[in-house]
Amino acid sequence: MEKKQYLPKRKTYKYIIILLFVLIAAIVVSASLGSADLSIKETSIIIASHIPVIKNLTINQTIDPLSERIITQIRLPRIFLAVFAGIALACAGVIYQGIFRNPLADPYIIGVSAGASLGATVGLLFISGMRLLSFSAANILAFAGALGVTFFVYNISRIRNRISVVTLLLAGVAISALISSINSFILIFKTQDMAKVIFWLMGGLTSASWWHLYTIVPVVISVFIVSSFFMKDLNLISLSDQRASQLGVQTEKVKVILLVLASIIAASAVSVSGIIGFIGLITPHIMRLIVGPDHKVLLPASAVAGGIVLLFSDTLARTVLEPREIPVGIITSIIGVPFFIYLLLRSKRKVF
Amino acid sequence: MPDEILKISNLSFAYNGTKVIDNINFSAERGSFISVLGPNGSGKSTLINLISNALKGYEGNISVFGRDIKKMNSRDIARLIAVVPQYSNPGFDFTVEELVLMGRFPYISRFGSETIQDFNFCAKIMKKTGVFSLAKKKFNELSGGEKQRVIIAQALAQDSPLLLLDEPTSHLDINFQIELMDLFYTLNRKEDKTIIGVFHDLNLAANYSSTAMLLKQGCIYSAGKVEKIITRDSIQEVFHSDVFVAKNPVTQKVYISPAFSIIKENDLPVPEGSGNIRVHVIGGGGAASPLLDMLTRMGYKVTCGVINNFDSDLDTASMLGITYVSEAPFSPISFYSQNKNMELIRASDAVILPPVAFGNGNFSNLVSVKEALELGKKVIIVNGSDITKRDYTGGKAAKIYEKLLDKGAIVVESIFRVPEKI
Repeated sequence: MEKKQYLPKRKTYKYIIILLFVLIAAIVVSASLGSADLSIKETSIIIASHIPVIKNLTINQTIDPLSERIITQIRLPRIFLAVFAGIALACAGVIYQGIFRNPLADPYIIGVSAGASLGATVGLLFISGMRLLSFSAANILAFAGALGVTFFVYNISRIRNRISVVTLLLAGVAISALISSINSFILIFKTQDMAKVIFWLMGGLTSASWWHLYTIVPVVISVFIVSSFFMKDLNLISLSDQRASQLGVQTEKVKVILLVLASIIAASAVSVSGIIGFIGLITPHIMRLIVGPDHKVLLPASAVAGGIVLLFSDTLARTVLEPREIPVGIITSIIGVPFFIYLLLRSKRKVF
Repeated sequence: MPDEILKISNLSFAYNGTKVIDNINFSAERGSFISVLGPNGSGKSTLINLISNALKGYEGNISVFGRDIKKMNSRDIARLIAVVPQYSNPGFDFTVEELVLMGRFPYISRFGSETIQDFNFCAKIMKKTGVFSLAKKKFNELSGGEKQRVIIAQALAQDSPLLLLDEPTSHLDINFQIELMDLFYTLNRKEDKTIIGVFHDLNLAANYSSTAMLLKQGCIYSAGKVEKIITRDSIQEVFHSDVFVAKNPVTQKVYISPAFSIIKENDLPVPEGSGNIRVHVIGGGGAASPLLDMLTRMGYKVTCGVINNFDSDLDTASMLGITYVSEAPFSPISFYSQNKNMELIRASDAVILPPVAFGNGNFSNLVSVKEALELGKKVIIVNGSDITKRDYTGGKAAKIYEKLLDKGAIVVESIFRVPEKI
């Protein structure tokens, strides 16, 4: 019996290619939707005319300058921000779920959201005038808060240079609750500005600009590339820390590296988009059902899928009640909560 | 390659201030199959975790092939030492082949992925462990025995000369236990794997391993050949339990069984002053064994005779530490032995005759009982079965038996009635 069927991994990469095509199609469709009505064909031509190599094909086409500005200056930055925030949250979700060996873990579980909220609140209420490039104080402080709280949680749950997963989760929940209370306490004194904060917390990509992308995209891409080299290790860590060590993984070191990477990527998404829930929880889970639990495939598949899901949600957010915007966090929760409950019911029957 | 595969010197490890491993020195030769035995909390699993580098922060030195594992990276260690854990439950739904391929981790560089050689090697391992046909199945769909085979395959995929087992069969049914132990035995004999295993089941360990190490509270109580290590005294000392240790006549391996006796079963009280009473029991053909055990447990000073070597009553007597008179195997009782037996009878307060079968060889035992009666000793006969059915002397034995009854021997129907007559 020769092992001709012995290269099963290759087969699963086809899902990633399919997902990439879906993503491209979703970008084009999403770019054509909005208050200014543009056809998919016109949208495609405008986008193509900005891509090297392909742009030669569009030389003979006439492009309406106003439509071009709408697409390149308003819609595309927001679309790409949605895609990259989605990628970031899904990647963080894959990593956290792998380390915690639990498909119910999400990127916010060890304090990213609480820290970001506190940072954003301070930024919005006290130094709202300050800007750096196109980043507001809220963006920057949210990033700092998310990372700061995550590392605080990490440090208090470190016992003799080892991280216990259970302690980390418990510390994350406890510290998040504490930070949220501090956040609420601050809001008591600034009731007049409460709306701003609440709207930020609900998540949204309205302020998207190319400047956001210039900083977020390199972070997301480099974190994605670096973490993909640790996915073999993560497969073993997802068995158990002890088993991973026995099979040759430098478990504690790799866990720290991956936690840092996941926290950076989650914090960078949260800092520009607010708290968008459930993407990081659900995308890896759906992808696990489709491509299997092997993190080498799961990470890229979830990344692309996360981009698609957040782009889809954001497109709904800006078009459903046009001209009114729904915060995208509400859309993802409306889709996400029923799915989360389904996961809970399932996990009652089957012990993860 | 040196013959010494593993050397542990002055190894100590404390967990939350409690010493779990206390100054262990030990070395393993290549090709040996060593069982590490001891009660819960004796440090067995900790020892395995320390050797496999899953626990750090120990004092002392562990070296494999002369290399200190503290100075080796985790991949190098995983190429030399593989562990089969007690139980493994991957959080996610990996397939069998995915799990087995994970065993190749120490051979794949950070930026690389599995090569065709890795696939082929794993296919070979899966065939050897009998999980090849399950390759595409999800681990969580397998039975307990199949799961454990997959975990073994994962460890074998590491292609390491040293295999550590951490109670690999303790949650399995007996058929799977034997199947897996046979597999380990084959790996040890045919593939030159050195195996160090922690086992709960002493019998399983004694059956398959050549060497044993008994741990007590983090220290080595004793180590050496299995039959020297597993003894009634050492088990009493280390596990605090009373067992019988015997040799299986077929396998010639030692085995232990709980020293559960009919006295416990029937809840017989220990009579007062029994320590001052001497009781002599006539043995033969195993008929005396339950009686010997019962009387010993009740505190009587028990003697036994005359029994032939290889008689199971002799095994019982020696196991219980009873003084006995023995005769060469399959030989008639000599005058010398008969006289020695009479000495014991004279020194005793009562003589007990269990339902022994009589032939010409041991007929003199019956004569000794008659003499005892004539000496005025109390004689108690346990009438298990009709004497004519166990008389192979052509009626001589039955005749004496009749005389015994005439001369006032006490007859009881079961051995439980014996103590009250003493």
